[in-house]
Amino acid sequence: MRVGVFKFSSCDGCQLAFFELEEELLRLSEKVQIQYFLEASSKNTWDYFDLAFVEGSISTPEEEERIKKIRESSKFLVAIGACAVSGGIQSARNFEDFSEIYFSVYSGRYEVNPLSKPLSDFVKVDLEIRGCPINKEALREVLIALLQGKNPQLPSYPVCLECKRKGNPCVVVAKGLICLGPITLAGCGALCPTFERGCYGCYGPVENPNLQALLEGYSRLRVSQDLIKELLRISFNGYNKSIREWL
Amino acid sequence: MKVQIEALTRVEGEGSLEVFLRDGKPESLRLSIYEPPRLIEGILKGKPYQVIPDITARICGICPVAYQMSGVQAIEDAFCVKIPEDIEEIRRLMYFGEWVQSHALHVFFLHLPDFFNVPSIIELSKIDKGLVLAGMEIKRAGSLIIQALGGRTSHPVSVVPGGFSALPESLSELKDTLEKALEKALWTAEKLKALNFPDFELKEVLFVSLIEEDYPILKGDIYLEGVRVSPKEFKSVFVEFEVPYSTAKHAMTKDGRVYLVGPIARFNNAFEKLSPLAIETAHKLSLEPMVKNPHKGILVRIVEIVHALERSIQIVKDYKKPQKSKVEVVPKSSTGYGVSEAPRGILWHSYSFDSEGRILSADIVPPTSQNQRAIELTLWELIKDKENIKEDWLRDHAEPMIRSFDPCISCATHFLKVSLKDAKKFTLA
Repeated sequence: MRVGVFKFSSCDGCQLAFFELEEELLRLSEKVQIQYFLEASSKNTWDYFDLAFVEGSISTPEEEERIKKIRESSKFLVAIGACAVSGGIQSARNFEDFSEIYFSVYSGRYEVNPLSKPLSDFVKVDLEIRGCPINKEALREVLIALLQGKNPQLPSYPVCLECKRKGNPCVVVAKGLICLGPITLAGCGALCPTFERGCYGCYGPVENPNLQALLEGYSRLRVSQDLIKELLRISFNGYNKSIREWL
Repeated sequence: MKVQIEALTRVEGEGSLEVFLRDGKPESLRLSIYEPPRLIEGILKGKPYQVIPDITARICGICPVAYQMSGVQAIEDAFCVKIPEDIEEIRRLMYFGEWVQSHALHVFFLHLPDFFNVPSIIELSKIDKGLVLAGMEIKRAGSLIIQALGGRTSHPVSVVPGGFSALPESLSELKDTLEKALEKALWTAEKLKALNFPDFELKEVLFVSLIEEDYPILKGDIYLEGVRVSPKEFKSVFVEFEVPYSTAKHAMTKDGRVYLVGPIARFNNAFEKLSPLAIETAHKLSLEPMVKNPHKGILVRIVEIVHALERSIQIVKDYKKPQKSKVEVVPKSSTGYGVSEAPRGILWHSYSFDSEGRILSADIVPPTSQNQRAIELTLWELIKDKENIKEDWLRDHAEPMIRSFDPCISCATHFLKVSLKDAKKFTLA
């Protein structure tokens, strides 16, 4: 199996999950050929890929072209992390009135798009690994399942379920904190509530998130809808297709 | 004519090296950074101060703790919050964890393959698996520190203005792991002694680092050539400027001198403050100030790994969960400064807030943009007398030189500041 790992606008953090696999990465390299991975190797070839992992959002004309080329060269394309899945923290700018914000620009050579967008706005994405950053357990699951020709099993339920499973007291009820857990996909192990703070949404929305119910629920607790929407816009996943229209 | 390395490899982020030739002789060079800017400072404007550690962490997946520490200290400076010593000690521990994992990543995954003439750590493992496994064990120890205190290695969740959102009851389970990693680090240092280092000496470069009681990591004044500069005065001594070929800014001292931040600068400025085992390791490696060969950065990093692990073991042994994990933070209209030693060198943050604690302006200077000038100068020294340079030569000689500085290109390009000068209007698509 020929694998490529690619980076777009991002912090590099999701690619690190490959390094975090440590010895498993070495064993894995016996089963797959890592053809293209600029951060890991000085020897890279780009012809075709059975499996492409893509980190980062699309935020320049060059990136728009490059992601299409990767799609054409790849049988199966996996978006890794909040930038690739939703547009990342840099997509918080998509909600601001850019006509009123001025940016100093370095050079005419480099164009930056006004919007930072997820991969799926440009190409078909076969699978998403969520998180900001993704975790190595999810990456391992995907790699092993795909190697065996199976469907990877990733969580499809919200963070609340992980809290219940861990026996965490609900931070909304017990501490009066704002938590995006009810509409955020699980997979982190309910990290933030475990550290006594509200989930800030870095794994992105669950499928068909019931945003209305979330807003109404917080309204009853006298938390304004505007504040919840602001938090969602900077949740690293605000420009996810399933919630962007709401925000 | 131009020869170039179109995409630098085994560095963090995206960059290229171009060398311009005339009649076969080098005329100029540029280390171009084409990683798209992510406008983080612009995004922060208008947001509540509490989001600073979570959002600025995302500037860099390799050194998020550094961003969180400089960020929260800038907030605390602005709001006049005094952090108790026991909480600061835990911040140091978390920061040491990041040094260990980031340095191990660079030493073993990115830099070491060059010394064995192989393209990657995977190939290196076929030559010396023991060395690679030692590296992974060291890296894991650093990661485990951050995980214990912050839930995950990259973008940990517990760092908040005033301290930590919560702290573990005990850290005793880390002790064995750290002690074993320290053994591996000492063993690795012995192995690295045998490496061949190309001759090279940095010229006319100032070494700039923080100064504090301990070997600098968490806070302090900025130190250069016997002069101390407070975090507030940073911008009156150092200037950032734009270059047309890079989305990262460059920096120099106001009087036009090139400077270097990071492990070599810290080592040269604060050698005597290293932990006992780290000093012993440096002696064994025949390493003493002033280190001027950038290729030896790998040795300095292993010395800093030893220091970080030895200090961490002590903190873990002494750890008692503080009664309060954080102190109260009350916002007010003001400006604050925070600076710390990221694995790659000093990382400076400054924010202005309104009376509610909303961010009016944000300014961040990461280590790599400060080092970019020094890296270019060094590359120029390397190539200036060579004739008819080919891409292969650049790959074999210039790229390892760039790597030895451990540039973090993702860090360097969060820029594009909100500015009313030189403004260009964007409209929504």
